[in-house]
This record gives sequence, structure tokens and C-alpha cells, in this order.
Amino acid sequence: MLIITRRPGEKIMLGDDTVIEVIEVSGSSVRIGIDAPRSLPVYREEIWRSVKEENAAAAQADPQVLPNDLPVSK
Amino acid sequence: MSVTLQSTRFGEVEIPDEAVIDFPLGLIGLGGSRYTLLARSDDAAFVWLHSLDDPALALPLTNPWRFFDSYEVEIADDEAERLGIESDDDTAVYVTVRAAESLEDFSANLRAPILVNNGLGHQVINQAPDAPVRAPLFSTVNEEERAA
Repeated sequence: MLIITRRPGEKIMLGDDTVIEVIEVSGSSVRIGIDAPRSLPVYREEIWRSVKEENAAAAQADPQVLPNDLPVSK
Repeated sequence: MSVTLQSTRFGEVEIPDEAVIDFPLGLIGLGGSRYTLLARSDDAAFVWLHSLDDPALALPLTNPWRFFDSYEVEIADDEAERLGIESDDDTAVYVTVRAAESLEDFSANLRAPILVNNGLGHQVINQAPDAPVRAPLFSTVNEEERAA
């Protein structure tokens, strides 16, 4: 992993179009600003990971276990 | 014009061009760019989001409001603009379903709904509070049954 030291207000470029800026450092938190092109989604890693796992689990579904007629509340 | 889908689950299915949904960013962690929705009937509780690029890739989805009356999807304005979503009215909202052997273990991912609008699909991160990744699908039904 590339490790770079930056101060608040300083930025990092990922290629020509994606900018990561350290906005503020406060105690153990760092506020980061990200300016990325439309084609590059940005996620918090823990959310991305949990959704990825959930998608993979959903994709394991066997049509046989999905009930055709369900007790629906409405 | 149509596309022929060879599905490992459902065999050969003809998909009309207008039923092809383009996911420019794919599904989170799964990729894929062209999908379609398959359902047994118009009012089926579950529909399948089936990849047109991978014959084995399909996820069951459901209409979240069928199970979660007060479900809300919140997306920041700039995110909606990024995705080209202008109004909620013509955007269909689905959530992925984790199936299981028994109904009590079924869950839906309320955190990352799938929005389909005008032949374009996106899986987005819902900013609303109380949108768990694994919300039990049948707990509300069970509560009603217990109350009855």
C-alpha cells in the first residue's frame, strides 16, 4: 500500500479526475472530501463490504426455496 | 428484437429489447452490466434480477413496501443527479432478498435498494436511518399471526 502524509487542505490525485482532500483532522477522526467522476462510485468500505456479501448471498438463491404464494400483510 | 437468455436456473428465455436494463455500474461486488427482471406472474412476491451476461447470475428481489410499510429511501440530491433520477414517481424500487430454507431466515437488504428508471438500473446506498442490510422479511407477518 502506498502511504502518503498529508495536512488538512492538501489533496491527492487518483489519475486526472479523482481528487481526495483531507478536510480536517480532529482527534482520531479525519474528514475527507472526494471529488470523483460519475462513473466511479464512492462507498464507505464497511458498507460496500456488507452489501457485496449480501448480494453474493442473494445470488445463491435456489428458485425452489422461494415460495410462490406468500402470506403478505396487505 | 430480443435477446436469448440461457439461464442455469430457468433455461432458455427470450428477453425483448425493451426489457433489458442497463446497470452502468453493475451491482455492488458482482459487476455485470445488462440485466432483466423475470417474474412468474404480474403479482409475484419475488422477481429475479437476472444477468444477461452470466447465465448463473440472478438475485431474487422484492418490492420493499410489500413487507415494510414504512420503508423509506433517501438519496442525496447530487447522488440522484449523478444517477439521472429526476422524480420518484417513475422509479421502481426493489430490494435484494437473501433466501433460506425456512421463511423466518429470509431477509431483505434495505440499505442498498435497486432503482430502475427508464431502462437504467443502479444499486444505491440508502441514507435513511433504520435501513438494515439484513431485515427479516417475515417478522411482520409473524407478529400479525401471533396477534391474531
